[in-house]
Amino acid sequence: MTGPDPITLGVIWGALQSIAVEIGTTVHKTAYSEQAREGQDFSVAVFDPAGRMVAQGPYSPGHMGAMSFAVKNALAAHPIETLRPGDAILLNDPLLGSGHFPDFFITQPAFHDGALIGFAVNILHHTDVGGQRPGSQGVVGIFDYFQEGLRIPPTKVWRAYEEDAAVVGIIAANTRTPDKVLGDLRAQRSALRVGELRLVELVERYGGDVVSGAMDEIIARTEASMRAAIREVPSGVYHFEDFLDDCGPGTDPLRVSVTVTVDGDRMTIDYAGSSPQTASGMNSYINYTRSYSYAAVKCLADPFGPMNEGALRPITVSAPAGSFLNPRPPAGGGPRAIICYRTFEAVLGALARALPERVAAASSHFANPTFGGWDRARNRRFVAYELVLSGTGARATKDGCEAMASAFNASNIPVEAQEANQPIVVERFELVRDSAGPGTFRGGCGIRRDMRFLADDGKLTNLSERQTFPPYGLFGGKPGILARTLINPGPDEEIVHGKASREFAYGDVISFQQSGAGGYGDPLARDPARVLDDVLDDYVGIDAARSDYGVVITGAGVDLRVDEAATQRLRGTLKLPDENSSKK
Amino acid sequence: MPYRVGFDVGGTFTDFVLQSPTGELTTAKRLTTYPDPSAACLAGLDQLTAAVGWDEIAQVVHGTTLGSNIVIERKAQGVGLLTTRGFRDVLIIGREKRYQVYDLQIEKPAPLIPRRLIGEVTERVLADGSVRTPLDEDDARRAIRELATRGVTTLAVCFLHAYRNPVHEKRVAELAADEAPGMVVTLSHEVSPTFREYERTSTTVVNAYVMTALREYLRGLGAALKERGYRGRLFVMQSSGGIATAEAMERYPVRMIESGPAAGALMAAAYGELTGHSDLIAFDMGGTTAKLALVENGRPGTTTAFELHRVNNAPGSGLPMNIQAIDLVEIGAGGGSIARARLGVIAVGPESASSTPGPVCYGRGGTEPTVTDANLALGYLNPEYFAGGTMTLDGAAAARAIAERVARPLGLSVEEVAWGIHQIVTTNMELATRVVSIERGRDPRALTLVAFGGSGPVHGCRLAQALGIPRVIMPVAAGVTAAIGLLAAEVRFDVARTYMRRVDAVDLAFVSAMYDDMTRQAAEVVRESAVDGDVVIARSADARYVGQGYELTVPVPAGALDAAALAGVRRSFDEIYAARYGYANPSEPVEIVTWKLSATGQTMPIRLQRARYGGEETDGSRARKPDRRAWFPETDGWIETPVYDRYRLAPGRSLRGPAIVEERESTTVLPPGVTATVDDYASLIVSVRP
Repeated sequence: MTGPDPITLGVIWGALQSIAVEIGTTVHKTAYSEQAREGQDFSVAVFDPAGRMVAQGPYSPGHMGAMSFAVKNALAAHPIETLRPGDAILLNDPLLGSGHFPDFFITQPAFHDGALIGFAVNILHHTDVGGQRPGSQGVVGIFDYFQEGLRIPPTKVWRAYEEDAAVVGIIAANTRTPDKVLGDLRAQRSALRVGELRLVELVERYGGDVVSGAMDEIIARTEASMRAAIREVPSGVYHFEDFLDDCGPGTDPLRVSVTVTVDGDRMTIDYAGSSPQTASGMNSYINYTRSYSYAAVKCLADPFGPMNEGALRPITVSAPAGSFLNPRPPAGGGPRAIICYRTFEAVLGALARALPERVAAASSHFANPTFGGWDRARNRRFVAYELVLSGTGARATKDGCEAMASAFNASNIPVEAQEANQPIVVERFELVRDSAGPGTFRGGCGIRRDMRFLADDGKLTNLSERQTFPPYGLFGGKPGILARTLINPGPDEEIVHGKASREFAYGDVISFQQSGAGGYGDPLARDPARVLDDVLDDYVGIDAARSDYGVVITGAGVDLRVDEAATQRLRGTLKLPDENSSKK
Repeated sequence: MPYRVGFDVGGTFTDFVLQSPTGELTTAKRLTTYPDPSAACLAGLDQLTAAVGWDEIAQVVHGTTLGSNIVIERKAQGVGLLTTRGFRDVLIIGREKRYQVYDLQIEKPAPLIPRRLIGEVTERVLADGSVRTPLDEDDARRAIRELATRGVTTLAVCFLHAYRNPVHEKRVAELAADEAPGMVVTLSHEVSPTFREYERTSTTVVNAYVMTALREYLRGLGAALKERGYRGRLFVMQSSGGIATAEAMERYPVRMIESGPAAGALMAAAYGELTGHSDLIAFDMGGTTAKLALVENGRPGTTTAFELHRVNNAPGSGLPMNIQAIDLVEIGAGGGSIARARLGVIAVGPESASSTPGPVCYGRGGTEPTVTDANLALGYLNPEYFAGGTMTLDGAAAARAIAERVARPLGLSVEEVAWGIHQIVTTNMELATRVVSIERGRDPRALTLVAFGGSGPVHGCRLAQALGIPRVIMPVAAGVTAAIGLLAAEVRFDVARTYMRRVDAVDLAFVSAMYDDMTRQAAEVVRESAVDGDVVIARSADARYVGQGYELTVPVPAGALDAAALAGVRRSFDEIYAARYGYANPSEPVEIVTWKLSATGQTMPIRLQRARYGGEETDGSRARKPDRRAWFPETDGWIETPVYDRYRLAPGRSLRGPAIVEERESTTVLPPGVTATVDDYASLIVSVRP
């Protein structure tokens, strides 16, 4: 029962990790859609022959927790003995996969001398899979997932390295953007082939038994590492509550209520008390809820440890059946990405008391709107996707980052890439002054992205959050400002609800102004020199320096100074009332 | 043939090499001086050329990491940026992806320009090159004046889609000359005419950032050389591996941001050529990192996606730069890499003990065992002859640290762990080697490894064995070989332009005219470098399937660009794509994004001196040093191992492993089973049985 020697194990571990990275690089470099090739909205992993994740690539963690379950579900439908080299199983069922139709999971087995040696797996967010709205992420008017597009149960999409033309044909016929969907499918295919080849090379070198023994060891040791890390978290029961704005105009806020129980080397995360499932797209299937709960624990307990099935085992995630965090099919789930920050940050908020040095305040929320319409110049229909990411929450010893993805790890889409392919002119892409949550350490700023559409018959499906409930601060740090969406900002501006589905006209500008991230610690304790720096760099205005930080700045132009005496006086008077306006 | 001089400034040492008219090489080494590295350069040059008149020296080639250091230390002052209105935060926003997924304490690299020195100008060009909003000249003048008031003396300008239509950038440069005479201006469409605004801005800003300091440094150095009587031009190594005149670098200093590693790869190519091997892997292992580069047909491969100063080598954590750079993979695996017991296995690096405190055996306060400590514990290094005997290593301390920190927690012996460290670090390098070979579609079994750097020859044979590489070249004087590479470089200048078209819709007349223009521009720079003889033009294109976002580089044949030539480009794209990504899609349309061209000219060919070392000895008796116990798994542990003095091994001499060959800067380990021959240039040519 002895596993491989430490050296061989180390070598195989590194090799599996680099295989996962290579699968990811291949998807990135060969993908067609903006969200995949620029936004990197995909994930990749290597699984062992038993269907357990052994290595993941550095992409969106939201897919990772789900992936473990999705592969098991794929194999339940297509048992291992029915698989041949070059087969691949595709699924996008929300309950079996990661909670919405656009995410295509593909699992490809790798064989050596007729024996199964593992799986290469990837998941990619496709541009459009049909349904009510371009981009398949509608919130309003959805009462079940049959309105959200094409549902694919676990299905062999490639057999013996040959595409199943019928299956692919049905997919192509059910999307508004067949070129992008088929192109991205080809990218997934290339990446899995590369992963398969590398796995075979690894087994040729070390032998199947050694590699599979190493995989067992990797998972076992990762589990032990995660348990040891959880043991360092003070045992106890921790509760936190936060709200999503709503699930469409005129609806109530959605409660996210979490209880985290740390018990020795185990952790239980339970969402009892959260709102019931909604008659909208705003539902997070349990695999998705699990994903970001795992991600939060990983960030706090063992951020640099390996990530595979072993890291998930000590953690149990549950939510009441029929709640919006564990809905029953056929609940809608297209726009569920917007929910992930809240589950992630609820767990962080709950554990803040236990791990004040490790947590971060809430990040500014991203927006994930989709657009459709008629591209006059190119004479074709278009579907476009945006990811407006902003800053992260403040930490115990430092400010949050400017412009950095949080739980949902992706990149923005370059202005020049978006404009080269879509009827869009980006008018602004900038940080918003005075948006960051003040604190001893402040949050990152919100970002504003204004886009003008040179398109007819425009359809906007907004997907924005933190327009009612701002990102929380911690330990006296203040929340960031609220987000908003506008059409034609300026004198004739019109406010757009964060989940609205609506039309827009040729030439309209849609402005996404994101919330600021939460601060950490009392803003009156912030070093006045840092406040001055923020004013000089225009992150904070002179008025806000005074009202939010109690720092009096004098002078004009580039010649600004802190008035130390006035600052001291002002801070003295500000300290008395208003003890704790932030959450926590 | 007259004398030539190369000198390479590294973080710790500055290396010098002088080539005589007969090809004889003289090398020297000095500590790099701070803050002015030219002090050490000039002192070293004076020493090296004492017996030669400067009027006899035909060419001086310089490599330096000064640009990289200026950036890493955020040293430059008064650098500002002008952007399109609404986009002043391009540099600060970047691409936003986390390079460490789960680390809540993550930090972004500090932007090179603070927000207060970034201005906006009303103007707008669209993706098709059309002007949507004409440049507001009053606004531009105001922005320039305002930045000048704030102390800006060097200005980077990066407007949206300027790679497609640079009219506004050009006009702003004129306005700046008017409003702020003396302000140095650098324009994005000149530095990096390619799409994706963050990467282009980042490149332009780095160019601006190092411009003033490098210009002053190079001019100072040039003047000092002139004063000494040097009548030629000062040449500088670029990151691409080509050299260009110092004057040419004044406008595009970003191109010489990392010239040291480039020289190493060229040196490997030069040694390969001497031994008749043109397909190689250059393997340079120093104290902190190992660098690997593929050399094909005698030329190192280059990349256009380069990142400066990554955090722990994580992709996306550095400053992206669109420059031609030697395509090398750098990993945290060096003599100073720290070994730890982690999750019950041995983990090595990327943390490094660097030179301070250094490995435990240096006796300078290091407490964690390193790769060098392991190599000492295995008997591979001579504690009395480290750095040519200028340092004594403490073997007992190294063994103690290995025992306490790693062996005991894992229940293994010191030898087992030392061997494990040696093997793990070799494996880490193996993975990097795969990236530059197998992932590029090259089979390592058809390649030759050139191992150099302080630690390269210690690990070279094992690395070769792991990958099935049959042959290893260990050049003599591995510690100064990068400077030799400077003398092996061609004069080179690269030009790239974005013109996005489907292969079947390319305007052939337009591209031909564009290529003519690019040829003129590049050839002029090369000719300026006093190249006598032909300027060689090589063309290539970055292509992708229509709809994709990333390209592969495909050669474009010389001669007239006609439909047949483009069809050939299309076919080679499918082939290269399939080799890299598993499948090609021949029915999908292909588009070309960037058209590239490089002009090269031969300077004087390097002629390495044939070895004099030990020339009078043929039996090798004088080359033999006292045997030493060394540990090899093939011999089931310790074995008395013959040790040789590299300087006394005569050409033609054969050695059989296990054996150890010592020289001042490095130690070559020949494991059991390998055979080595000393060639005419004193290189060890090792035959490795896989």
